[in-house]
Amino acid sequence: MSITNLLQNWSDFRQQHPSDERPHQEYKWAMSIDLDLCTGCNACSVACYAENNLPAVGKEKFSHGHSHHWLRIERYWHNEDREYADQGAQFLPMMCQQCEAAPCETVCPVGATNHTADGLNSQVYNRCVGSRYCNANCPYKARYFNWYDYPTTADVWPAPMEQQLNPDVTVRGKGVMEKCTFCVQRLTVAKSNARTEGRSVHDGEVQTACQQACPTGAISFGNLIDPESRVAKQWEKQQVKLNHDKQAKDAVHDGDKLRGYRILENLRTYPSVMYLEQLREGAI
Amino acid sequence: MIENSFNRRDFLKVLGWGGATVALSGCGNTSVEDGREYVTSYVETADYIIPSIGTYFNSTCAQCDAGCGIMGRVREGRVLKLEGNPDSPINSGKMCGLGQAGVQAHYNPDRVREPLLRNGDKGEAITWEKALQLVSEKVASANPGSVAFLTGGVSGHVKVLLKNYLDAIGSDRHYVYEAVAPSVVRAANKKAYGVEMPRLRLDRAKVVVSFGADFLGTWVSPVHFSRQYAKFRKGVNGERGVLVQVESKMTITGANADRWLAIRPGTEGILALGLVNALSAAGLTVPAEVAAAVKDYTLDRVSNDTGVSVEHIGKLTALLKDRSPSLVIAGGAAEGYAHGSQNAAAVALLNQVLGNVGKTVEAPASMPFPQMAPITGNRSSLQALNDSIAQDGVKVLFNCGANPIYSAPASMNMKESLKKVPFKVAFAHYMDETAMEADLVLPLNSSMEDWGTVVPEYFAEGAQLNIQQPLMEKLHPGTLGMGDVLLALLKQRRPAEYNGYEDYYAYLKNAMVAIKGALGGENEDDDVFWDSVLSQGVVKLTSSSNALVSSASAAGLQLPPPAAEDGTYPLRLIPAVTPNMRDGRHANEPWLQESPDPLTTIVWDSWVEMHPKTAAKLGVVEGDIVEVASKNGAIKGQVYVYSGIHPDVISVPLGYGHEAMGRYSKGVGANAFKILDPVFDQQTGELAMYETRVKVTKAGKRVIVVKDEGPAGGNQSGRRIALRMASGKVNLAEEV
Amino acid sequence: MYRFLRLSVLLVGLIAAVGSVAVHAAQPLTTADDLGPVVDQPIEFPHDRHAGDAAKGGMQINCMYCHTYARRSNVAGIPPLQKCIGCHRSIESVRETPRIKKLFEYWEAKKPVPWKKVHDLPDFVRFNHERHIQRFVFAQEKPVQEACGYCHGDVKTMTVARRQKPLSMGWCVSCHQKDHPVSATSTKTTHGPNDCWQCHK
Repeated sequence: MSITNLLQNWSDFRQQHPSDERPHQEYKWAMSIDLDLCTGCNACSVACYAENNLPAVGKEKFSHGHSHHWLRIERYWHNEDREYADQGAQFLPMMCQQCEAAPCETVCPVGATNHTADGLNSQVYNRCVGSRYCNANCPYKARYFNWYDYPTTADVWPAPMEQQLNPDVTVRGKGVMEKCTFCVQRLTVAKSNARTEGRSVHDGEVQTACQQACPTGAISFGNLIDPESRVAKQWEKQQVKLNHDKQAKDAVHDGDKLRGYRILENLRTYPSVMYLEQLREGAI
Repeated sequence: MIENSFNRRDFLKVLGWGGATVALSGCGNTSVEDGREYVTSYVETADYIIPSIGTYFNSTCAQCDAGCGIMGRVREGRVLKLEGNPDSPINSGKMCGLGQAGVQAHYNPDRVREPLLRNGDKGEAITWEKALQLVSEKVASANPGSVAFLTGGVSGHVKVLLKNYLDAIGSDRHYVYEAVAPSVVRAANKKAYGVEMPRLRLDRAKVVVSFGADFLGTWVSPVHFSRQYAKFRKGVNGERGVLVQVESKMTITGANADRWLAIRPGTEGILALGLVNALSAAGLTVPAEVAAAVKDYTLDRVSNDTGVSVEHIGKLTALLKDRSPSLVIAGGAAEGYAHGSQNAAAVALLNQVLGNVGKTVEAPASMPFPQMAPITGNRSSLQALNDSIAQDGVKVLFNCGANPIYSAPASMNMKESLKKVPFKVAFAHYMDETAMEADLVLPLNSSMEDWGTVVPEYFAEGAQLNIQQPLMEKLHPGTLGMGDVLLALLKQRRPAEYNGYEDYYAYLKNAMVAIKGALGGENEDDDVFWDSVLSQGVVKLTSSSNALVSSASAAGLQLPPPAAEDGTYPLRLIPAVTPNMRDGRHANEPWLQESPDPLTTIVWDSWVEMHPKTAAKLGVVEGDIVEVASKNGAIKGQVYVYSGIHPDVISVPLGYGHEAMGRYSKGVGANAFKILDPVFDQQTGELAMYETRVKVTKAGKRVIVVKDEGPAGGNQSGRRIALRMASGKVNLAEEV
Repeated sequence: MYRFLRLSVLLVGLIAAVGSVAVHAAQPLTTADDLGPVVDQPIEFPHDRHAGDAAKGGMQINCMYCHTYARRSNVAGIPPLQKCIGCHRSIESVRETPRIKKLFEYWEAKKPVPWKKVHDLPDFVRFNHERHIQRFVFAQEKPVQEACGYCHGDVKTMTVARRQKPLSMGWCVSCHQKDHPVSATSTKTTHGPNDCWQCHK
């Protein structure tokens, strides 16, 4: 790691955004979430806690905003001034969007967060010094800070609860940022198995914990580069392109027939998660 | 603030460079930790156990009685995470959050670890040998008719052993108590369709109208219904299914409805009959006697009684008439009244009139082994036990899977009542309220450590037998499975019959092998058959279906007018069953306490939900502490205001307010079960859960409600975050 | 005063940057050896006897006969006790020696031998043996002892294992940065990943 190396990387950081000249090789992980199927049940969130060694922080710390739900269900109402919330709620699973031009990557003072070759936003715990600038910059507020040393905090993992911890995921100590990883530990295993067999990962061979739990199958996850994968077909169908900050279909006035969109796309983060708009029946 | 041309950007640029290079130079250092830790190694192991690679074993979830199939990921002898078993027709590989928390029930630090015998106020640890000896003595010395078992829902081979044990001791007293079972709807279904729970085909319906049935959250088999719901929304040929939810307090299913109709509490049946009348007027063929019976349920009258607008009733009528088949479901909201059976009957009548019977309401598969079929029960069963105790009719009481001291209404005085039973044995995972009053506490295996068979209450397709197998060695050497205990007790009573079984595992394997012909394994070697059963986790049974009758009739339907307001107790309490807490048995699993309630996003506490109008009338705002008092008790809670609830109603979630159990549940929130009024469904005698009248008064300092929704309270403030569009603009058939 | 502050901050940054370069120069990142501490094991297992050359009285057992998971798992693994017993129950000549007696004591008691972990990477590191064995042994067809030896040194000359290499990130990265042929027959080259999340959990 020389100074020239550093300068080059820094310059890359600042100018990096996905482009057709530098396509992903072999894997680009992406997700698609159907908001019309999401019932807001929170199964995905609890599954994430189980898979990724998330601490349950308790009431007081939760009230301070120190909860650790890497995947949270945001619940919105759209009642205007009606007497009742008579069209139900809008549930939105929100997690790290693994932005291709992640605002968090450029501001880490120690370079603990970078972009991987397969399109994920990586977080390296042992490099993180806890400046918390990354979450300040994240428009989705998808990053979480370990304000306390949870492994040694009473009642977080009292014996024998620590036996449930997943050895494939670091148990974070105090002072580091963490966030959704698209279950990178599962992806690594799947890629390794596929490589040993001399092939790429098939669609559906690896599932993130949230996707695997979701009772309605609202979450779709896979390799955007594989044209046969469900997620690639969905992005294609919805005419959402990864490396565009404005989709061509949105410019068309009558482009109402497609439900796919990305959140806060205009901030040019190029997120890897596409959402499908919730629907409501007009006849009732 | 430094004021000159030196700005923050320069500062950070420099700091960034310095910091980055210093960090990078750390590459040369190492934090390798030779010789400080042990390596996991085995003595003898199967070939397929490879260190650092998880092995999956199938089992069955026991967090509720839906009976979803699970796969446990096991590494180095510990179960780490649960996934759904893709081969189970009930959940097709999916899981709910409650199911995921099964590992927390297993690894819970507050589990009871050894048998405890009461000595004054304390429990002294004793051996199982002594404990079972004591049990035998007490049972032997009591009149057989005075020995009773109180359990939660049971099925499978444990049910068989339990019955055999009761037979062996000469008692037939088995009471089944599930605090939140949909008993009234079951009874109504039995009358209307001939079966307690018909098979509902949401995936075939074009319209679903649910009268308070929270099928996506807590009702009957939520994961299974969620799977069907996904298909329902995708629809046939892109015609998306429409969901209308009618209830007085929004459930998670209501939150997903295309139209949520807030209804005056108790008037669900009136709306159902009003729809029958409107459909008849709109041209749907309705049997003459039915049309005659409902002719007084005019649009205006129904709208007036229920509070649902004429416009919406009209639109709903049109929707039901035009889109067929539909499906109408009666749930907790409909059944929770003294006339709950009538409400449920009216809803069944609506289904029948719409022609749904046979299309979206189907005959369920029957269980070819009825001795293993699940039995369930509700408050009336508990009342019968209570009555008997009052007459000194119970000398020995075994309790397994029920916590009546916690979940029975205060009017039943369970704690005092149970004091009259001279010898109480509690089979328990935790020292919950009922276990605390027991004379002997026997610690149970968790469902992750146990052998068993489970027959789900609701069959997804055909009949099935779920297998439960241990996902790891017992965590605590002092626990036993219920099957093991019953077998040990039976060995004392019927040694000739049971001594041949070394343990419950041997009994279970033997029993399964004995019926392998019916389970599809006639030509298989016993061991091969057994291994394949364990490997699959679910055994599909060939079964027939009882025919469904369509006998809902209007005759005898007596729906009362909307209830008059009680001056002293002006509001009605809806004790809500939430997906995380249900009846409170999982309150000690921290993931569930930390999982925000989908409607209010509140965590780690209970609350009092009310409409803005109600809050205005009471002069309270969010966070105010109020006292909710019924004639039978009072609880306190924090106010939460939103418009997903009828103004005549307030709602408090069930499952909180434990006084014992464990560190995550004790003292968290308030127990709404306690203050329920003793009002009962006239036909079944079950507790009418929604008939409690309360008054609400300010009672304490305002607190900050700990919730996940943030200060905007669910408002997107004009930003395009969660988007919604009209379904007519999209062709779902074109989507992937 | 502000000018002083600005200057000192700039200087700190400069010194830190220069300092890191100096440190970098002093510690070249190569495959140089770095002897770890001696780790005492419950049984002093003689690798030289088992894996060593026949000329020196060894049995030339393939590393992966015992550390069998190396080609298919993250960890090479310590073999289950049954593997040791599998041979040793038939080797009369050493059956009564102290170490073998101890081995059989564990076996009779059905207790695993409490081996200490010698090559113990920090918990936030993910190291995958399978990928390395697949590349060097199966694709490049290097002899097993040579491939294992890149990181573990010449184990067949040791009794109990002792760390021979630094196993630091810089040491791993220095090899990952070098091109090597994809397989024994190919002219195509590749090098190991430099992706943070390949190795950091």
